[in-house]
Amino acid sequence: MKKIVLVSVVLVMMLALAVPLASTGAQDEPIQIDVWISFQDYRLDWAQDVAAEFNELYPQYQVNVTGGYSYETMFAQVAVAAEQGQLPAIVHYFEAATQDARDSGLFKSISEAIGDRTEINGLPIDFSDYVAPVVAYYTADGEFTSMPWNTSSAIMFSNMNYLRAAGFEEPPATWDEVEAVCEAVMALDDAPEYCFTFPNHGWFFEQWLAQQDALFVNNDNGRSDRATEVAFNSEAGVAILEWLDDLYNKGYLYYSGAQGGESWSTVDQAYSTQQVAMAVYSSSDTTLYTQMGEEGGFETVASFYPYNDDTGWTGNLIGGATLWLVDGLEPEVEEGALTFLLYFTNTEWAADWHKVTGYIAIRNSSNELLEEEGYFEENPNQTVAAAQLDQSTLTPATSGALVGGFPSIRNEVTAAIDRVLLTDEDPAAVLNAAAEASNVIIEEYNLLNAP
Amino acid sequence: MIVSPVILLLVGAVIGAAALGYVFRRAGRWLLLGLPLGAVAGGFGAILFVAPLGYCTFETEREQLDAIFGFLLVAAGIALVVLPISWVAGRLLRHESLVSTTSQPTQGTFKHWWIALPLLVPTLTILALFLYYPSAETLRLSTMLSRLGARREVSVCVDNFTRLVEDPEYLDIIGRTLYMSFFIVVLSMGLSLLIATMAYLPLRGASIYRILLVWPYAMSPAVAGIIFLLMFNPSGGMVNYLSGNWFGIKLGWLNDPKVAPWTIILASVWKSMGFNILFYIAGLQNVPKDLIEAGAIDGAGVVRRFWHIVWPLLSPTTFFLIVTNVTYAFFETYATIDYLTPGGGPLQSTTTMMYRVIQLGVYNNDMGKAAAQSIVLFMMVIGLTLVLFRTGGRQVTYGV
Repeated sequence: MKKIVLVSVVLVMMLALAVPLASTGAQDEPIQIDVWISFQDYRLDWAQDVAAEFNELYPQYQVNVTGGYSYETMFAQVAVAAEQGQLPAIVHYFEAATQDARDSGLFKSISEAIGDRTEINGLPIDFSDYVAPVVAYYTADGEFTSMPWNTSSAIMFSNMNYLRAAGFEEPPATWDEVEAVCEAVMALDDAPEYCFTFPNHGWFFEQWLAQQDALFVNNDNGRSDRATEVAFNSEAGVAILEWLDDLYNKGYLYYSGAQGGESWSTVDQAYSTQQVAMAVYSSSDTTLYTQMGEEGGFETVASFYPYNDDTGWTGNLIGGATLWLVDGLEPEVEEGALTFLLYFTNTEWAADWHKVTGYIAIRNSSNELLEEEGYFEENPNQTVAAAQLDQSTLTPATSGALVGGFPSIRNEVTAAIDRVLLTDEDPAAVLNAAAEASNVIIEEYNLLNAP
Repeated sequence: MIVSPVILLLVGAVIGAAALGYVFRRAGRWLLLGLPLGAVAGGFGAILFVAPLGYCTFETEREQLDAIFGFLLVAAGIALVVLPISWVAGRLLRHESLVSTTSQPTQGTFKHWWIALPLLVPTLTILALFLYYPSAETLRLSTMLSRLGARREVSVCVDNFTRLVEDPEYLDIIGRTLYMSFFIVVLSMGLSLLIATMAYLPLRGASIYRILLVWPYAMSPAVAGIIFLLMFNPSGGMVNYLSGNWFGIKLGWLNDPKVAPWTIILASVWKSMGFNILFYIAGLQNVPKDLIEAGAIDGAGVVRRFWHIVWPLLSPTTFFLIVTNVTYAFFETYATIDYLTPGGGPLQSTTTMMYRVIQLGVYNNDMGKAAAQSIVLFMMVIGLTLVLFRTGGRQVTYGV
């Protein structure tokens, strides 16, 4: 008897291992379209709300929007999912991942998927409606490889209470002017702890480089041919580090020590608690920064990203992310995914997205709509990023870099800025060392990914 | 090729034969069985690691460091195969049990030895799937240049390891990992013991204190990290605001390379103390009251009673906690570091070995280097744990 019990226990245990989990019940309709968004905050909520409206309008589809941890980790998540054949229909990648995404072979070009069609499921397609810098950044050979969505630029926010007290009615426009304002602000009786700050994220260095019409990587920023080396260790690059170091040594610049994708919140805190008078930041949070002022009892004025007096201003580049269509989907899923992409970025939603966040309205028609509503007149801060991009001269430098392993290169750049600020080492030498390390990253990336 | 594979095989065979021959001869029999068995085992061990690498470390155009690394791999392979075999053979020849000489079960044994196998299957399956296979894959990856989602992988021989030796920054990271871990373990356990002893005092509402003390452990590292970030942010943070107002001191908690590691240590200690306090309170409850009373009657003071009675009886708890805390300090401080000093801190001052591995593997998508560094970390922790068991483990009293 005992033996039977024992043997049966063993058998049950082995069976439990052998039988796979029962598959969930079949439900063919509606067609499931999974979307992975790299956000987890109110921006994800917005995307889910839009998806819910879409599902009501198009009952044949069921769009499921799932949030991710961050841009940087979304990349690893997708690569793993691809190996397991568990990819969703749409993936949200940031601008720095554009080269990696194109090389991965996982995605289908949006232009290719749409073909000659002028509408899908009644939604019109008009790529000429997108603003120029967006077209410049995300097109390859004139074709959109991914669907533009959240697009921002780097701008500056100023606490006008401090600036006015120091005798300035307008935010500074150039590096020298920033320094002059800082000198006056720090001499105030109730001066803030610091004058100026920035998130130590590689994107801000790239912005200052683009303003000086200097390239980040070779081969026209990777646009005429695959990038093989970085070019940021130029005079323009060194000038950025020297200016920041100068501000830091004078006690004007607040550096939180945080680097990369998590450095934003330290700047938020310093600005909202009025420990700094000015902060450069992404226009994506214009709404938030304007509110911080309203709640904290000061006026926030947004202005163009300050530029180097010696080299002048060519233009700024965009940042943000686009939506990528996964290749090899079932035709009806792809159709649904395209429908959703068109709906998600239509004129009305693009305008609403701009109001909620501060990312620029990427369609000309959305801007016209907002203009008609009188929104821009009431919210002057919200026009700054779009105007800055609008006035930019499009050159390879201001189109932004395309390079493999971009996120790792950004880490090298932020570490170099960190080193220059905190030590007495020569900025040029530090930047050259970062360039050398970055070249290894590019070389290794191209070795593994170039077709 | 500076050494031909055949020579390696022969050297391995000779060493293996010598070792097993010695074992068999001491047991007094079958020398003829021991020699060939040892030769096969030694030869296999010699090429265990270097054959999958294609003997690339011994290619003439590679650096001397690679060759040295190759010989180390050969030696490690021989040791890994020959030592267990000679240990098992020695025990079998002397008719000793393989399990333990002291814990021979006297009752409740199964009639047939093979019944153990199906009972072990679930555990072994899980281990194979989630431990052995990933470990083997990590070993393979560590010799590769590899990115997730890339078109191809390229073998780089042992460059991922040898480059570390030449990288002064990596040596800094090792040193930093050791000193941060040391302070995390010592401070966390010391403070926990102190607090546990106090919380164990018969006070009104003691159970409430005890629950409150364990709370930090129940909080997710991410939440704890954000709370600390908002508190310690050098500009606009609460800590500097208060210390500035009260004492006129403002520290660069997160942006001063000298202070930042200590902020991490502080946060990690705070985070792990709940766990340690829990175990120390449990340990204190197991100390027999009569022993302490006896000590008190004999005139021993509080300190002497603690040092001579409580502390020795807590030694199993302490030993267990040292091992778990070391593991915690090495492997689980990642989230704290990443939330407090994203990017690895000013001048990389809070970049520990584990942090570096995740940075390389997840953020840089550089799987080969990440795998190699995770192996280095793994070996270090294994080594440290062995040392702990050899030294500390001997001094632990389990009986009352």
